[in-house]
Amino acid sequence: MQSRLTGPAAFFSTLAAMTGKELTIMLRYPVEFAASFGQVFLIVASVTLAGLMFTPRSGEQDSSATTGVVVYGFIIFMFLSDTLWTIGYNVRRDQKQGTLEQLYLSPASKFANLLSRITVSLVWTGLLCVTSAALMSALIGKLPVYNLPLGLLVLILTLSGTFGFGFAFAALTLRIKESAQTLINVIQFTFMVVSAPFFPFSVLPDWVIAITRFIPLSHGVDAFRSLMMGLPPGYPELAPIEIEIAVIAVFGLVMPLVGYGLYRHEEDVARRAGTLSEY
Amino acid sequence: MPRPPRAGRPTFGQTLSAALAETQLRLINITRYPGQMIMEVVIPIVFAAMPMFLGRAAGGDQAAVNFEANTGTANYVAYMLIGSSVFTIVSGAFWHVAYWIRFEQETGTLEAVYLSPTSTFTLASGVALYSVIRGLVTALIAYGLGCLIFQVNPLTGDLWLALLFILSGLVPLYGMALIFGAVVLRVKESSAIVNLMQWVVSFLMGMYFPVATLPPFLRAIAFLFPPTWMTNGVRSALLGVGYFFDAWYLDLSVLWVFMLFAPLFGFWVFNRVERSVQRNEGIGQF
Repeated sequence: MQSRLTGPAAFFSTLAAMTGKELTIMLRYPVEFAASFGQVFLIVASVTLAGLMFTPRSGEQDSSATTGVVVYGFIIFMFLSDTLWTIGYNVRRDQKQGTLEQLYLSPASKFANLLSRITVSLVWTGLLCVTSAALMSALIGKLPVYNLPLGLLVLILTLSGTFGFGFAFAALTLRIKESAQTLINVIQFTFMVVSAPFFPFSVLPDWVIAITRFIPLSHGVDAFRSLMMGLPPGYPELAPIEIEIAVIAVFGLVMPLVGYGLYRHEEDVARRAGTLSEY
Repeated sequence: MPRPPRAGRPTFGQTLSAALAETQLRLINITRYPGQMIMEVVIPIVFAAMPMFLGRAAGGDQAAVNFEANTGTANYVAYMLIGSSVFTIVSGAFWHVAYWIRFEQETGTLEAVYLSPTSTFTLASGVALYSVIRGLVTALIAYGLGCLIFQVNPLTGDLWLALLFILSGLVPLYGMALIFGAVVLRVKESSAIVNLMQWVVSFLMGMYFPVATLPPFLRAIAFLFPPTWMTNGVRSALLGVGYFFDAWYLDLSVLWVFMLFAPLFGFWVFNRVERSVQRNEGIGQF
């Protein structure tokens, strides 16, 4: 007979409970939510207004392309950033609160623990992205929306890969502890330049583009915004759309497995060395 | 013969020594995190690069010409780098002062600090001095390095006048920062609010664009922020984008008016919150 503590029913029950816990924590900080929304809006508005300083004063140029480049790139940047903090770095929160060791002493699924954080990321960041995109569209210029189903598929695959990257980062956090905070900043700012979420790839030097082509997330940014903007001339910039979708599909399917494998390996190392509760 | 100081009241020398000790303590602490210091230099360059790259793509061959028509200078590299470097100083002031309080709360030393004869004003001055050193060094390196990377001359225009605008803006800026310190003292875990406020200020001070492009209501609020005058003063001195009142001394005099009122207002707010928190057993709690 299967124990009530293992099996699919137990897994989903744990996942629901952990997701509920994470969402409850999120809802208890409405000021934080409002502040992060305001912050997102201000960053996108600042960058977009700055971009418009380079266009003719008369406003004869259509600003929707600028808005499209910034907003769609920003959505992926937001998810990457949120993934690194909520999935990767939050292992530190459990360590600091002293609950990580306890969690590993319980029969609860550790995978469910990681998955529950994805839910929060999807709800929180998704809401932020949709609202800020709508607001930006109203204020600065109509947001181009084409190829919605394919665009969403590319976004889902990109996010799947990003979550896998988050699992891998959680593994790294278990090893390098507080230094992970600095590393997140390094990754975020490298992404901001190399994967061009706020500007087209064409303005980057050739040698940077050569590096960029090897980063699957860059293909995610390029394919997502190119599709959503209706594949205008010059887009996608890194490779034909079919190749980009293939790269993103591999990234989205393989990276979660790799990331989770790395996490399991590191948690095993930490358990054996007795460093789970060390911070 | 000089009168001896009253028992329990520190002399000026002791007060100065305490403030400088606070500065030294913070500087020693930050030198232990070289990675963080490097990132602080990189961040303003990346912040400036984003709109530059976007603008180059949006404007094409006419990017510099369009930029000049909109802002008053074709040197958009220096324009963006000045904005992001001043933003580094501004956001540093908020975070350093706000997190000085939070750090003392979390490490459990805030209660002890309030029991010592050293006043909060003395310690805040020490923290402000540390923050000024850290912010100025970071901003200057970021500006110089950014100009080097994007191949523009950083030594254009009136450098001394630009420096005067920055130094004049620092006093009211730290007056404002004290208000953020008061927020931390009152609401404790306030990183989200401070984070938001630094972006509000960056938006209103025109980090990437002239405040003239803002709607009238927002423009009026922007003019109440000393960083707006700092940023435009530095840009006008170095790039000739034009002073708000057409003459450098008029814009500078506005900053001097802020210099008189902002610190007083900041301390008034901080002291009120401080007293209220002390009366309600809140100093040691976090």
